[in-house]
Parts: sequence; C-alpha cells; structure tokens
Amino acid sequence: MAAVRTKGEMLRHRLSIISLLVILALFLAPIFWITATAFKPRNLATTVPPTVFFQPEFSPFVKLMTKRSQLRSAPTAEVYNAAPWWEQTVFDGGEKVVRSGKGEVQLSGFPSRFLNSLIIAITSTVLAVGMGTITAYGFSRFKVAGEDDWLFFILSTRMLPPVVVAIPMFLMYRVVGLNDTHLGLIILYTAFNLSFSVWLMKGFIDEIPKEYEDAALVDGYTRMQAFFRIVLPEAATGIAATAVFCFITAWNEYAFALIMTNKRAQTAPPFIPSQVGSGLPDWTVIAAGTFLFLVPVAIFTFLLRNHLLRGMSFGAIRK
Amino acid sequence: MTQIELRNVNKFFGAVQVIKDVSLTVNDREFVVFLGQSGCGKTTTLRAIAGLETVDSGEILVGGVPVQDTRAEDRDIAFVFQSFALYPHLTVYENMAFPLRAVGTPKAEVDVTVRRVAGVLQISGLLKRRPSALSGGDLQRVAIGRALVRNPKAMLMDEPIGSLDAKLREEMRVELKRLHVEQGSTTIYVTHDQIEAMALADRIVVMHAGVLQQVGTPEEIYTNPVNLFVAQFVGSPVMNVCDVVVGDGVVTLAGAAEGFAMPQALTQQLQAKVTLGIRPEALEVVLEPSAGAIGAEVHLVESLGSHDIVDLRIGQALVRARTRAGLVSGPGLRVYVKADASRAHFFDEAGQSLGIRV
Ligand SMILES: Nc1ncnc2c1ncn2[C@@H]1O[C@H](COP(=O)(O)OP(=O)(O)OP(=O)(O)O)[C@@H](O)[C@H]1O
Ligand SMILES: [Mg+2]
Repeated sequence: MAAVRTKGEMLRHRLSIISLLVILALFLAPIFWITATAFKPRNLATTVPPTVFFQPEFSPFVKLMTKRSQLRSAPTAEVYNAAPWWEQTVFDGGEKVVRSGKGEVQLSGFPSRFLNSLIIAITSTVLAVGMGTITAYGFSRFKVAGEDDWLFFILSTRMLPPVVVAIPMFLMYRVVGLNDTHLGLIILYTAFNLSFSVWLMKGFIDEIPKEYEDAALVDGYTRMQAFFRIVLPEAATGIAATAVFCFITAWNEYAFALIMTNKRAQTAPPFIPSQVGSGLPDWTVIAAGTFLFLVPVAIFTFLLRNHLLRGMSFGAIRK
Repeated sequence: MTQIELRNVNKFFGAVQVIKDVSLTVNDREFVVFLGQSGCGKTTTLRAIAGLETVDSGEILVGGVPVQDTRAEDRDIAFVFQSFALYPHLTVYENMAFPLRAVGTPKAEVDVTVRRVAGVLQISGLLKRRPSALSGGDLQRVAIGRALVRNPKAMLMDEPIGSLDAKLREEMRVELKRLHVEQGSTTIYVTHDQIEAMALADRIVVMHAGVLQQVGTPEEIYTNPVNLFVAQFVGSPVMNVCDVVVGDGVVTLAGAAEGFAMPQALTQQLQAKVTLGIRPEALEVVLEPSAGAIGAEVHLVESLGSHDIVDLRIGQALVRARTRAGLVSGPGLRVYVKADASRAHFFDEAGQSLGIRV
C-alpha cells in the first residue's frame, strides 16, 4: 500500500532504510565469517588480517564427517589418483582419511550427533507445540477452576535456569535409566518448552473469535471437528511461530545436553566445541560444523517466514 | 413443521439475570423479530435457542421436542451471527459448503446447492474470494447463504444487517423478506432498529432488560402499546408522553391554560391525573385559531423533506407534531394544535397502559 508521503517522511524513510542496512550488516557479519571460514583452506583460517578472497574448498566438511590422521609422507600418485575427489582434498591438506581393514571410510562423531539433534529437536517441538495447543485451547475456551494459578504454575517451571536443575535431573535420570537416551532429552525439552508453548498459544487462540466455533457447532460439527477444521487452521500462524521458538530452543540447548548425554544421544551443541580441545584446533572444521548446524534453523524459519511475520504482529493488527 | 417454544426460560450470567421468565411461541413458517435495546438479552436468547448457551431453568422446544439437553450440532438450527463469523481461511464457496460437508453431502450435490443459493443471493461472482476481500454487504449475503444452503429447521438471525449503511440495509431488508416468503422457514430475527422490525415481522417481540414487554403484529404494537416502554420504543419520532390533568371532556397538559378536547365518554373513565401518550402524527397543527385547537408556541422545526417535525411548547410541556412540509415557517410562531382523541393513549404511574381508548 503506497500512502502519500511528505518530504520529511521520505527523508526519514530513507534514513531508516540506511540504518536498517547497517544493522543488518552488523548481524550478518558473524554468519558471513563462519560461512567463509567453513570453506577456507586451513592455512587461511586464522590469518591476520582475515583473508576475504580465497579459492573455496570443500575439505573442512569432509574432515568434519570423517576420522583422519596425519600423513607421514605424501601419498603415492597411484593412491592419490585412485581416491575419490573428496578424499583428495584431505590429502591436499596433509592428512588422510582413516579407513577400516576392508577399506570402509570411518565416520567421525558429527553425522550421528547431527542426526540426534534433528530427532530430538523435531520430536520435542512436535510434542510441545501439540500439547501446548490443546492445553491452551482448554484454558482459552472453558472455565477452568483456578485458571490464573494454573497458568502461573505452568510458567513458573520456566523460572529456574537449566543449569540449576541439571544436576538433580541428572541424578534422577540416572536412577530411571534415562540419561544419554533420546527419550530422556525429548522429555526434558518438551517439558521445558511446554510452558512457553502454552502461554504463547493461549495468546493466539484467545485472538480467534469464539463465534467461529459457535458457527461450526450450529452448522452441525462436533466441538472436536470444530477444533480441527476451524481453530487449528486459524491458529496456524501461532503454531508456526511457537514451533520455530520451540525448535530453536531445543536445537540450541547446551547445558542439559552436555550433562545428560555423552555418546549415544549426544546432540551437536556439546559436540562441536569438544573438537576444539583435541590437539591444535582446526578452525575450518569447527566452522563447517557450526555452518551445518545453522542450516536447519535457517531452512525452518525460511519455510515459515510468512506465518512468522504475521505471528509477530498478531493482535497488533485487527482484522 | 417447526414451532419454537420457550417456556419460563431464565438465564443468569453470574449474579446478573439476563433472561427473565420468558415464554413465547413462534409458529411454523413465522417471521418473528426480537426488538430491544442493546444489552437487553436478545443475542443471549437466540444463543439459548441454538444451543450455544445453557439456560438455568425453563424449557425450550423445537418442533415440539424439548432440546435443553440437545447439543448445538444436533439441533439443526441455522444461525447468522451479529459478526457474520465467516471463516477467514476459507473461500466464500467453502464457507457456504461448510454446513453441507458436516453431514457428508455428496460433492456434486454440495456444488449444485452452493451455486443455487449463491445465485439467489447474487454472489455467484464472489465464490472464489476470501471473506477479507468482500464488502460488508457481500459478507452479509455470504453469512445468510451459509444459513440457507441446508434447509434448517429454523433460522436465527442476530442483527445481520446492523452494520450496513442505510441504503444497503433497505435493499437487504427487502431481499430478506423475499427469501423468507420463498423459503418459508421459521425465522427469529434480532434487531434494535424498530423500522426494520416493523418492515419484516409477522410478529414483533419487544424485550427490555430480559423481560418480554409485548408480543404482537407490528400494527398491534404500534397502535396498542401495553406500556410506556413499548410506546416510546416503537415509532419515529418518539411518542409524546406528558402528565395531564383530566377534566370533564378536556385533558390539560401540566401548566397549560387550555386543554385538548376529548369525548366525555373517555374522560369519565379516567382518574384525575394520568399520563397521556400521543404520537406526533396524531397532533394536527393549524395556523389559525379553530374549534378544539389550543395555542402553542413553535420551538424548533426539523425539515425532513416529505414532512416536518415541529417542537411545540404548550404550558410547561414540549410536544412534537408532524406537519406537512413547510407549513410552519420557523421558531417563535404562534400556532394551534388539535389532538386526535382516537389516537390518544393513557398510562398509569407505573407506565402500564390503562387500555382506555375511544
Ligand atoms: N458471556 C457473558 N458473560 C457475562 N455477561 C454476559 C455474557 N454475554 C452477555 N452478557 C450480558 O448479558 C446482557 C445481554 O447480552 P446480549 O448479548 O444478549 O444483549 P443484546 O440484546 O444482544 O445486545 P446488543 O444489541 O448489543 O447485541 C448484557 O448485559 C451483557 O453484558
Ligand atoms: Mg446482540
């Protein structure tokens, strides 16, 4: 919508665009840095001043995914030429990919940790948003005795920082055998996100006029059908926004993941920094891990961007 | 055959009683209009009939069957909401098809019905749009269309045209009347606009503060209001109401030198002090003194084109009279007023009609 603007408003409009660009550059700089480093040869990763122009390489990603060892001597031309292109990039860096006796490539811990992250974050997001939506619907539409107290109680579970509860949780989890399991982290993240999800979804559902459901009821639908056919589509925006927040929280969570898991169910956040400690850090590998770690959130947020934008301004704009 | 009957219905919201002992029968194929001020309980009564609100006591019967324990979805009553309540995520077509899909109507039949109703309502061109891309009048047609597609036992309409402009309202009024004549479904229609009520209703139900004041045809309500509330709520401009002193064959407004002449047979039945109600059109203004006309001073003239409304001072009272356009030139003029005794109403102190007429 193009509204009529005065000259002063035009100027202000331009100024705000410029300042937005500056802020954008500021926020994008670290992401650019990480992305650039992820594609750099190792010897360019830590130069001062930083190298901006370079021949991008794929080797950090290969190194991230595989177990490697130092080359004592350069590979023979025969070995080098027989190797696939990705293995050659590792040879170029003065290392070699570790293979089993049968010649199978040995994977590093990263792929499985990454998969763990995906499984745990997605499952806990689905659970938290699903349960949160139903709970919020109940609070929004029915008279619940002590409603405000319940809502406060639900929120209060979020008031202690994770580090405070991590140790007791760890002890309890050990007793019931949930530590270092996917289920354990899923339960933990679901519980952690649920309060947030209930509160957020209650706000969104409160905004949906009750008369939509009333109309569905007189049209012959049951309350359950009205919920699925009217309330859910109307709340799609809110659900998307809540899902993004829950996913990001679960995806990025570090403290619990560090304490509760060590191998089987470890997620990517505690794994990536653990690579810094082993010998002379290869920053390109860490950058590659971080880069890959950013991608799912970026994709997820990008897919839901329309809903998100509406979700952020929900309630501010009346239809 | 769908008759709707309310028997001694009471409804509380917390400590507030919103419906007070309401009993009413709406006959099959009848068009009944609930008329009342904002907040008098019209919507609540409709919602109770539709099953969207429980009642605290009393019975509601639809087609002779008590429905208090029947859920809204099983009552088969269509409802046009005050706010339309069209689903924003569905197209007009889907909105109108929605009630049909509830009962698993075959796809082809849904299509035929939706297109037929859309044709009747002249919204065939809008079927692919979403509600957000419609004007107020279109929204209203779609909302009515959604109620019409499924031949319900009864139609409940809650101020469906309240938010439209005057011209569109008039058009829709005619259309609604026509639709009712064609469909013939039992209809309860809510409004706070008395002109709408008079124009549409077979019978009007006047409500005030949760209590039924009067039920009757528009003519009955207009010519024989049972109390001052109904008398002043129906009719525009509002009926004049003044305290009067009754003499032998004369009724005098407080503080006035002369009184209106009335038949002795009438004044003999009245007590000395009563309240007179007389509609502006029952007062005749003349410029020259004449038999039975009392003097009055013109206070204000409203020109409405087809006629004028003149505010007159008689004694301490201000009354309004309807005159032909341009009869009275302006304020300050001395005129003479006659009252049509056959159109005079008398009320007691409590505001109840005494029922004493010529
Ligand atoms: N859910 C509710 N809880 C408490 N009070 C309510 C509720 N719904 C309505 N009321 C009250 O009941 C009274 C009647 O409301 P209702 O909506 O039936 O009025 P109405 O005649 O339809 O008015 P309007 O012409 O403004 O639509 C009002 O005083 C209102 O404040
Ligand atoms: Mg209402």
